[in-house]
Amino acid sequence: MGFLEVSEDVTEDGIRVLRISGDVDFDVAPELKQRIVGRVEAGDRKLIIDLSAVGFIDSTAIGVLVAALKRLRDTGGTLMVVCNNEDVRNIFATVGLESVIPLHRSDEDAFAALAHAG
Amino acid sequence: MLLPPWHTLAEPGRGLAESVALAQLRLPAESSELRRARDEVAAAGTRFGLERKACYELVFAVNEAVTNAIRHGSPSADGTIGLTIEAEGDELVCLVSDCGPFVPPRRRRDMATEEGGRGFAFMAALTDQLELSVEPNGTVIELRKRREVKVLVSDA
Repeated sequence: MGFLEVSEDVTEDGIRVLRISGDVDFDVAPELKQRIVGRVEAGDRKLIIDLSAVGFIDSTAIGVLVAALKRLRDTGGTLMVVCNNEDVRNIFATVGLESVIPLHRSDEDAFAALAHAG
Repeated sequence: MLLPPWHTLAEPGRGLAESVALAQLRLPAESSELRRARDEVAAAGTRFGLERKACYELVFAVNEAVTNAIRHGSPSADGTIGLTIEAEGDELVCLVSDCGPFVPPRRRRDMATEEGGRGFAFMAALTDQLELSVEPNGTVIELRKRREVKVLVSDA
């Protein structure tokens, strides 16, 4: 298995930010899943997945995000994805995923959306 | 008369072109090989003259096919799957092969919530043509992407 490049922050409000970098393919998607599930099981309810430094994310990793979003929503939480890369945004749009997982252009946009979501 | 220096043919002639092999690879059926598969397709696409966006889309689609072969297919006796890249007229053709029977994608219950099952939707949406051949000795997925044909227009 590969090595997921990720760093983490938590805000004062308890919002967990995972900043991912590099290519996120099937080689590292299981690790991404493990990391997110671990955070949710530890009690995190608001997650921001920052893909600003990701130039490639495949369907298996996108699936991990979709499943995490559902799981969080089922427990009253939510997940926001930050992505400003046009290639990646185009991929999401191609199969209509931008309506499933809204992509925010910056951390600030994602925080604002979280605040709005309560 | 004012004409742009070139215009784009939407439908270049097809069917008559010979195919020229650009790369024939045997990749170990391991997820760590995905990067190499992407790099090979990206390099071939750039050399072939695919537009940047088209090249990225083809790389994404082929990565999905290789991922499927690794996850659901059967490698050959030496533990590898095949990736062949060919030029055929104005199309770049990528063939991803494994030795297993085709495993149809699980019927998706809900695109909005299901984790898996998007590979083929991506492959179909991101290529100009997608073909699946189920043969007695394995499964081959053929993915095609067309380059723009620039034609010089002269006043002469």
